[in-house]
Amino acid sequence: MEITTKKDSGITVVYPSGRIDTSTAKSFEEGIMKVIPDNQQIIISFSDISYISSAGLRVILMAGKKIASMKGQFALTEMSEKIYEVFKMSGFDKILKIYPTFDDAKTSFGK
Amino acid sequence: MLLSVKNDIREIDRVFSCIKEFCHTSGVSEKKCFDILIIIDELATNVISYAFNDGQEHTFTIAIDKKDDVVHIRISDAGIPFDPLKKNEPDTDASLESRKIGGLGIFFVKQLSQLVTYERVEDKNQLDIFVSLKEEE
Repeated sequence: MEITTKKDSGITVVYPSGRIDTSTAKSFEEGIMKVIPDNQQIIISFSDISYISSAGLRVILMAGKKIASMKGQFALTEMSEKIYEVFKMSGFDKILKIYPTFDDAKTSFGK
Repeated sequence: MLLSVKNDIREIDRVFSCIKEFCHTSGVSEKKCFDILIIIDELATNVISYAFNDGQEHTFTIAIDKKDDVVHIRISDAGIPFDPLKKNEPDTDASLESRKIGGLGIFFVKQLSQLVTYERVEDKNQLDIFVSLKEEE
């Protein structure tokens, strides 16, 4: 899986692309976990994600827990309707911060 | 459509292409196809990861058919007896700190389908999943 990151006002924005399923979850996990130690303000954009299964949610949950334990900030944004449905179904919308637009996510960090 | 699948996680990619093709040719909407992909992804992953523990190559089958407004999926494997429906459901109301990692796959399958049954038939695990194509909203 291809993952690109960029910095925006001190926030690290992560852009995974394609499908997050069992066969790509491992590289998604490696990509995210590599970023976390040095960055405590992270936004993951789903603008280029067409599919996510429980294997992908597992990685998001791990990342969320890790960032919370470091007292960092973590937000998810730009999900398609179907991707958001998967997050809602899992109850993750209640424990993670999900914003419709990138600017909403950024504003939530006080930026 | 009947797919023969090896117990290799790299097979998921090919399964996706075939299921998408099936959805396209049988007129299943993209939204419903997304649900069907999740169902098959979660269950096939379970079979690939847990059904065979001898390190050898095995194949299992995924059959998918559409009749009227219902898609029927049947997954059969000759692996160790395992009823995934007996797994505990995740607590979707737990806090971030206490939320357990895992257990979501089967929960998704149950949420996205109208009926799921498990049977051990002639030394095979057989899962039947029925998905209604009627849009709920």
